[in-house]
Amino acid sequence: MLRFVLSRALKAVLTVWIAITSTFFLLRLLPGDPTTLMVEGDMTPEMQAALLKTYGLDRPLWEQYVSYLRELVQGNLGISFRQIQPVTDIIVDRLPWTLLLAGCAFVLTVAVGIPIGVTAAVNRGKWLDRALQGFGISANALFVPSVAILLLVFFGAQLGWFPIGGAIDPDTRGVGAYLSLAHHLVLPVLSLVLVQLGPYALTLRTNMIEVLGEDYIRAAQARGLSARRRVWKHGLRNAILPALTLMGLQLGTLVGGAVLTETVFAYPGVGRLIYEAVGQQDYPVIQGAFIMLAVTVVFANALTDMLYAVLNPRIRL
Amino acid sequence: MAVKGRWRLAVALGVVATLGLSGCGLNEDNNSSSSNSSSEAVLRIGTTTDVSNFNPLQSLSKTDSWILNAMYPHLLRIDENAKKSPELAKEYRYEDDGKTAVFVLRDDFKWSDGKPVVADDVKFSAEKIMEYKLGNVAAKLTWVESIEAPDATTVKFKLSQPYAPFAEGVGFWMSVVPKHIFEQAGDLSKFANDSNWVGAGPFVLDSVTKGQRYVMKRNEHYPLAPGGKAAVSQVEYRVYPDVNTMMLALRNGDIDLMGTPVPISAAKTFEGDDKIKLEKVGALGFAHLTYNMKNKYLADQQVRQALSMAVDTKAIIAAVLQGDGQQMAGPISPIFSEYDNTELQPYPFDPEGAKAKLSAAGYQDGNNDGFFDELSFGVACDQSNANITRVVQLFRESAAKAGIKLENECVERNTFLTRTKNGEYDIDASQWGVFDNPMDQLRSTYLSSNPGGINYNLLESAEMDALINDAAGTTDPEEFKTKIKNIDKVVHEQAYLTPLYVENFQFAYNASKFTGFVPSPSDLLGMVTAYSLAQVTPVK
Repeated sequence: MLRFVLSRALKAVLTVWIAITSTFFLLRLLPGDPTTLMVEGDMTPEMQAALLKTYGLDRPLWEQYVSYLRELVQGNLGISFRQIQPVTDIIVDRLPWTLLLAGCAFVLTVAVGIPIGVTAAVNRGKWLDRALQGFGISANALFVPSVAILLLVFFGAQLGWFPIGGAIDPDTRGVGAYLSLAHHLVLPVLSLVLVQLGPYALTLRTNMIEVLGEDYIRAAQARGLSARRRVWKHGLRNAILPALTLMGLQLGTLVGGAVLTETVFAYPGVGRLIYEAVGQQDYPVIQGAFIMLAVTVVFANALTDMLYAVLNPRIRL
Repeated sequence: MAVKGRWRLAVALGVVATLGLSGCGLNEDNNSSSSNSSSEAVLRIGTTTDVSNFNPLQSLSKTDSWILNAMYPHLLRIDENAKKSPELAKEYRYEDDGKTAVFVLRDDFKWSDGKPVVADDVKFSAEKIMEYKLGNVAAKLTWVESIEAPDATTVKFKLSQPYAPFAEGVGFWMSVVPKHIFEQAGDLSKFANDSNWVGAGPFVLDSVTKGQRYVMKRNEHYPLAPGGKAAVSQVEYRVYPDVNTMMLALRNGDIDLMGTPVPISAAKTFEGDDKIKLEKVGALGFAHLTYNMKNKYLADQQVRQALSMAVDTKAIIAAVLQGDGQQMAGPISPIFSEYDNTELQPYPFDPEGAKAKLSAAGYQDGNNDGFFDELSFGVACDQSNANITRVVQLFRESAAKAGIKLENECVERNTFLTRTKNGEYDIDASQWGVFDNPMDQLRSTYLSSNPGGINYNLLESAEMDALINDAAGTTDPEEFKTKIKNIDKVVHEQAYLTPLYVENFQFAYNASKFTGFVPSPSDLLGMVTAYSLAQVTPVK
């Protein structure tokens, strides 16, 4: 087991390094440089050169890369070009919001997705199964911003049930603040859940159908175990294993979805930070945010793999 | 078991989330009083992005200026008619044959810590900009040799040569910062200025919740507000990165004013709402087609004129702007009414005439495919600008009628900017951002020796250089106007560019709650100038 954990950890580190390196070089392969976006009208080439020097962008690419890695090892993500502040501070400011949003969406997707998948599998071929499958397939085709805008227009603007943007009413304190927080979370979480739910429920349905056809389930039936116990205790335990991988992958999708959701709902998380930093070509912020998200996703995937290995020892072989 | 596991996971995530929130403190932790008594009016404004830089000498962002402009005074402001009006400076004049620009300041501006705003603050701000080459104002101070502040209300800029719009340019663009605060910061290029703000505008930043809101408190002493201080006690900027979300927030009453203009296609959605009012202002820039003079065919005046005749500008305005724009003739926007040469007429849309002109100039259609053999050009544009991509499409269709083959080369914004800067295009379809005065515009776009300019034509004309330099040194207002109008005429005749339209911007606000905005042209500051915010009053 230890060997498995070590090899998985090594792979995770390697993946993060590849993510860091590719982000670094891809950003610099983009046409233009950050000063291009600042040059409006009167900015002399001398001033542009001075800015490039300040940002360290006048040095050879490999030199910039080595220096970036050196700083990174010391836990320094650099200074934002635009905000003149440490990137770590900027991200730490935003990360809790994204964790909250993605965390809630994740929990809700799992909590709702599992019963939908199981119910569809148990009722295989019946109208309920067809309806749930129809929902799953349609949800699969949903696009986060479209869903977000629709929810916002209908529940936010038309009915006025939920706030239009932001994460919290700034004038609330104490319990009121927590209530306001939850109130602001409903629509962004819902839009992420709606999009994630389809694939999740469909995968679980397929797994469950497979498991319900296994000999040990039939044996359990012969032993007189109730249908409820057969499905939810014996069946689900095995059907959920492949879904674990999906949960890991889902985290990655959630992160991608957060960029769009946070932008539409004016939610102050890392996703929106990336959206803004890309527009300004603020390399250190984009790199820092990507690294942070890459680490989160890689860590979650590694954890899923290890959990999988614990639950299903065959995977370690 | 599985159910238990699920709940464990949910609880664990809940704990993580709660811990995270305690980290971000839920709401801003500051001394600002969040309880607003009913007598206090809070004006909430939608902005599209966070403040990227609180140092007004360094910031280049438009949305930053919406907040910083209300804090740090400028010598001059731009009024509703695009003219420079007094703000901190009550007047300015030139001495020494135009080689000294003198500003006379008001004596009743005060910093929010009680100290008066004096000439030394202006001198300090300008000198630091020059020393650290900060922001785009540094280029406007190119001609400055030294600055003197002989008394508390007089500032003298000694110039290396006369430059007619010097005072207007510096007066409008340069923020004046408190010397007694900023001089303690050392290297101002590294000064973030992100706390303990001291300003002298109608409002001063009080608290910031990144990603959410910026709260500004009224400066209790602002001489340009009726009654000596703004009627609104607090201004709050709330961040909505998506303009559609911002529009919904305005309709729902979450904000009272959109800082960003309402897209033309969306303006109609406010028609049924009797609370929301739209205020229309003209742009300080304009859409245009610029021809690369390094292209052997585009260097031919006949070809440029024929291209100008092959653009159906009226149809473009009708289709792209839904009629909400103004056609231009010469390169000076009609918004600068004193300088616009009204004797000029736009080239008429006449594809057949253009064809005849090109045939007469010796161009031929050898293979009878309907196009002149040599006249095939690419039209570059920024594909994220929906209006301009539509312009390119319409231009391509109408030019084909004149026998000129055009190819759409609209690309991603950064690629476009890089290409235009390097002259890697035939025809450039784009929109100038902000020109606050015609002289800077002409100097920037046509002077061959201006290294910081945007001479996208790559024009090298001794005649134009001479005309521009001559006008730049003319400080007599009437003579200056005549010279600008003459350059206007030369550019038009040469058809160095085909001006297309001056767009109108529409700003939406909740008229049932606030009134009295004084909008200025362009989307640069629009409704959120310091002066405008100081005039706003709550509707009783």
